[in-house]
Amino acid sequence: MNLFTKPMRLLTAVVLQQRSDQVVKALLQLGVLDFIHISRLEADQLAKLSSKPSTTNRVVLEDLRGRVEALLKQGHLALPGESTLDVSLLAEPQVDAYRAVLDELTQTLLALKERQKVANQALLGVEEMRRYLAESKWQYLDLRVGSVKEGKSEQLEEKLSPYGAFVEPIDEEFVTVLSLRRDLAQIDPLLDKFGWTEESDPLLQKQAVVLVRTRLETEHQKLIDKRGEIEQSVKRAIAERKEELHAIWSNLRLNELSDQIKSYFSYTRNTTLFSGWVPADQAESVRNAIVEASGGQCVVEWTEATEVPRESVPVAVTSPKVLEPFQNMVNNYATPEYGTVNPTIFVMIAYLSMFGLMFGDVGQGLVLLLVGLFGSRSYRRNPEKKEGLLTRNVTNLLVYLGLSSMLFGALFGSYFGLPLLPPLWFNFEAAVEGHAPATALVRDVYGILGITIRFGIIIIYTGLVLNWVNLFRKKSFVPMLLDKNGVVGGVLFGTGIYMAFGFVGSSYRSFPSDPWIIPTLVICLILLFAKPYVQHFVDLKQGRADKTFGQVAAGSIMEFLVDVLEIFTGYLSNTLSFMRVAGLGIAHASLMGTFKYLQSMVGGVAGVLIFIAGNLLVIVLEGLSAGIQSLRLNYYEFFSRYFTGRGIAYRPVGLKRSSSDNR
Amino acid sequence: MSSVDTYGFVNAKMRARLGKAREEAVTEALLRAPTLVDAIAALRPTRYAALARSYDQSGDIQSIELVLLKMEIALYREIAQYLDGVEGRFVAELLGKIEIDNLKNSIRLWYSSIIHRRPIRHRSEYLFKEVILHPVDWTALINALSWDGVVEATANTPYHPILPEYTEESLREEGLFQLESRLDRVWYEEIRKATAWLKKTDRQKALELLDQEIDLKNLLILVRYGWYHRLEAKELLSLLLPWGEVFKSKEVNRYIETPKENRSASELLSQFLPDEQRVGDHSAVEEVLRIEELLAQNQKRAYRRLLGGDPFTIGVALAYFFLNKEEFRRIKAILNGKYYGFDEGYIRGVIG
Repeated sequence: MNLFTKPMRLLTAVVLQQRSDQVVKALLQLGVLDFIHISRLEADQLAKLSSKPSTTNRVVLEDLRGRVEALLKQGHLALPGESTLDVSLLAEPQVDAYRAVLDELTQTLLALKERQKVANQALLGVEEMRRYLAESKWQYLDLRVGSVKEGKSEQLEEKLSPYGAFVEPIDEEFVTVLSLRRDLAQIDPLLDKFGWTEESDPLLQKQAVVLVRTRLETEHQKLIDKRGEIEQSVKRAIAERKEELHAIWSNLRLNELSDQIKSYFSYTRNTTLFSGWVPADQAESVRNAIVEASGGQCVVEWTEATEVPRESVPVAVTSPKVLEPFQNMVNNYATPEYGTVNPTIFVMIAYLSMFGLMFGDVGQGLVLLLVGLFGSRSYRRNPEKKEGLLTRNVTNLLVYLGLSSMLFGALFGSYFGLPLLPPLWFNFEAAVEGHAPATALVRDVYGILGITIRFGIIIIYTGLVLNWVNLFRKKSFVPMLLDKNGVVGGVLFGTGIYMAFGFVGSSYRSFPSDPWIIPTLVICLILLFAKPYVQHFVDLKQGRADKTFGQVAAGSIMEFLVDVLEIFTGYLSNTLSFMRVAGLGIAHASLMGTFKYLQSMVGGVAGVLIFIAGNLLVIVLEGLSAGIQSLRLNYYEFFSRYFTGRGIAYRPVGLKRSSSDNR
Repeated sequence: MSSVDTYGFVNAKMRARLGKAREEAVTEALLRAPTLVDAIAALRPTRYAALARSYDQSGDIQSIELVLLKMEIALYREIAQYLDGVEGRFVAELLGKIEIDNLKNSIRLWYSSIIHRRPIRHRSEYLFKEVILHPVDWTALINALSWDGVVEATANTPYHPILPEYTEESLREEGLFQLESRLDRVWYEEIRKATAWLKKTDRQKALELLDQEIDLKNLLILVRYGWYHRLEAKELLSLLLPWGEVFKSKEVNRYIETPKENRSASELLSQFLPDEQRVGDHSAVEEVLRIEELLAQNQKRAYRRLLGGDPFTIGVALAYFFLNKEEFRRIKAILNGKYYGFDEGYIRGVIG
């Protein structure tokens, strides 16, 4: 893992045009080059270059790939992943042939679906009658018994089929006809044509009821089976072409990627030029791949990231797989600037500490840990599993949160809210409820608030130090020393903390009056005021000044006032913001106290159930609140000190996702 | 309870969902799908996954339409639940529109079965048969052997006093158009009555929106039946909904009184539409369709504007329902278009 973003190098290569396809394949295979358009050549050199229109239309490729995916989804088959792509199989896309395959399969499916529709509609007709029969709604049904004098009963059934009526033989002479009464106006004339003679024998009537019930059940099952069979046929039709669909998908995707790479290429009459960023540790393998693919007929040049403007360098950060949940938190916020600190490890420590302080309990932490472990295992076993409320990332995160909660639970001596073992630090619940022993390290909620404020100060100072490191690496010495988040800001914050603690120490009667305080404050404020002037002087010296002295002077007063306001209110509110950690922790302990009280009141099995339900409620609600508040504190109080988020992400083009693709 | 308390939560929820719907861009994905199979696949990763499941099982677009109707009803009920109180009751009352449409569909099926003597077999199963707002006995209605049976099936509902005004004979001779127009009017009567429950700001907003909708409908009636079908003045007047600016205006009165051969749709519309939306005056179906599309677009714009206004009024909920209904309508139209093999451009033209 890198503590800072990965060093990058800019590659510029020239290869013979005839070898460019091989080079594309090699680069696709490596998947580490973040391409850029060549633009830093001299204008007259650039004028000699040309671009070639793509031989394939990428939109067409994407549309066709979308169709393949649609068919695979229709067949409930997994999509082939990019990890299965084999660059050696890259071939000219046969767009017309692919389209023909897809059209043919689609037509087959549509024909099957049409049959399924007919079966479904017949099923609905049967279901309606079946429902009326089951609910004894005879007013909607017409059941009659009689004999057909002209023609056969099968012919009669065929004639009545548009109305969904059934003709069921009772014996050799009599048949029964079941239909809907609303269709009688159409059915009666048909029956007359067949010479229908009504029979009123009650025994036959009873028999008829049993027969039509059985017939409806049989027809219903038959139609369900038929509909299901057609659904299976749809799946089979797609499954039979699975290999072909996968092959089409793979070649389309390879061509899309290849075309994407070629879109960055520039051409002279015989050569191909391209350029892109590579992590420094991969530079050698990229060079070797190009040399090998071009048969040595190439020129490869490297430019160091220090030679180009920092803001144009893409940012790659690597974190071990285990830190992925925290890397995702950073990614969700923004991309760090090139050359600055990779905040992942700091986020992990801060996040887990905050969560543990708010949600410290060994038992409840164990539940989170188990949920996390089972969830992650389930996703690992079934990579195609659709993400639910607990996403892959959340289940991974829960493992850490569970461990953190267990550690702090042991420190606070809390096991599902019960003091099963003595606390290693102090009894949180006893401090909240005001019955902590006199020897306890923390005896009341003020003590807890004090801990979280101190914790907040550590977090803010960590942020400041990281900011100074970042600015030092960027050689931005003036902001590093004189900015509100620079050393001056840090000294003012430190002085403020000293005064605040002195004020609390005097039982809120007076601020400390040490002789160094006023001079420190005055010097810091003067330095803060001087910052724009010093910066202007440095810019002038480096030939980067874009403002006149008058503009600097005019802006400096407003800038100073805003900075002062931000230092005094911003630092204060940021620090006090950490009291929410105590607040959530106190709420957690209070809720558990309440459920234990309820349990003792009710007793017995009901009491146990209350205790279990209380724990579950606390795990879900408090766990969620603590998770969200920890994230908020990281994003707003911690990141705002050092994380500018002005970086551009490193996005290499290739088949495999390189480790640095995590940014 | 302040309007922020009433609408704060539901407003955030509705906006989040609208944002998600915009992100998903379902209708655009459906339009671009070359076949029905691709269109169904485009539904799978969206909030309409249930439609794809229904199609997988049945292979029938009509089953998708029923699922969409169920989704729409559930949407109203959910928001009504979140709102509680009079606002919740009012939102639940909005289901009356869906109920009337369902009633019209059921009567059409009954008409087809009993009057036209055509089998309606599975089609009756695609009707929504549960209680929507009032206790209409849908099964009894669809199985009624006479018009009296239909009337009886609507007992204890606001439609019951209306239906006896028609007879089987009158329906056989004149068709269902007059009855359906009358039922539409019942809906507006009922919902306007329901606005009395609301607080003043909400009442005003709801009435304003209803009047806008009524104006649009009246304009459509005036153009379609007054100009294109050239109905007599009395007949035309009976179709109009008796509320809103359009109904009260002198220009409309003059238009109705003008001999039917001399009525000018463009002259009429110029009173109610901005200059840039002037229309021609050719007696052509295209012209009517164009006018209808223009008016529908104006309505859509009006509802979209609502979302940019005060978030703590009933207006946002009404806009939310409207936009969802629009999306449901477009999905239905696109899937039907794909089923019949129409190309993207044609379907775009139809759905507007």
